[in-house]
Amino acid sequence: MSGQELPGIERRGDDGPVLRKGVGIPASGWFDPRGRALGGFAFAVNRVTGLGLVVYLYLHLAVLSMLLRGESAWSGFLRLATNWLFLSLDVLLIFGILYHGLNGIRVALVGSGLVADRQKALWWALGVIGTITLAFSALHIYGSR
Amino acid sequence: MATVRIREAVRRRSPRAPRSAGEWRTMTLTGLGLLVLVTVHMIANHFVVRSIGGLRDYQQVLAYIANPAIFTIESLFLLFVTVHAMLGLRGVLLDLDPGPRLRRWIDRGLAVLGLATLAYGYFLIGTLASRA
Repeated sequence: MSGQELPGIERRGDDGPVLRKGVGIPASGWFDPRGRALGGFAFAVNRVTGLGLVVYLYLHLAVLSMLLRGESAWSGFLRLATNWLFLSLDVLLIFGILYHGLNGIRVALVGSGLVADRQKALWWALGVIGTITLAFSALHIYGSR
Repeated sequence: MATVRIREAVRRRSPRAPRSAGEWRTMTLTGLGLLVLVTVHMIANHFVVRSIGGLRDYQQVLAYIANPAIFTIESLFLLFVTVHAMLGLRGVLLDLDPGPRLRRWIDRGLAVLGLATLAYGYFLIGTLASRA
């Protein structure tokens, strides 16, 4: 075949008869949820939670910087941080950590070939664990008020 | 020749840049480490102290971070989370399919951001621990 075009190579970039079913990222981007299989949806949510956690990392460092300004600055922040809105953001943070962490376990297990054919079952199983942990955490955080 | 053309066609079609085995391994290992460290961090910071949201007051924070075991755990946590975050950001940015020149700038930028994050984080931890 060397020196020749492979048959049909000019059509390799075209969409098949079933659009965006299965693996791969839609041409519109990884964050596009339309027509995704479970793996693609899990990947997109993993990215969104990952980006959210990176933003939170820098917010967290900024908030902790108040500790450098002494006790009164930190006490002022604590008064703000113990209202319902902030505690709800804590629950949202725990959701992000749980989703990203548990999905990371799934990706590592599937990617390393240990359970390559069980990714859907793993997603649901870890989803149940994550939901229970999130519910427990939310009850604990809101219950502390 | 044909193989080269196929590779080129596949490369142009895929918006996800190939990830090296070393990068994948580092991402996975730091991720596994983070699972342990983030669990310890969240439990220690939200589920131990009896207060609203489990948040510590100023003196409690200083006493907490001055504990050598906690100091080590939080230092490792900062290192793992920064490496993992920078590799993750790199993956997202490389999915935009930048050219080789821009890709080099992304690598440099993320290295600088990561080092700055580590430097500030260790300064913060060290300063607070020294105040206890």
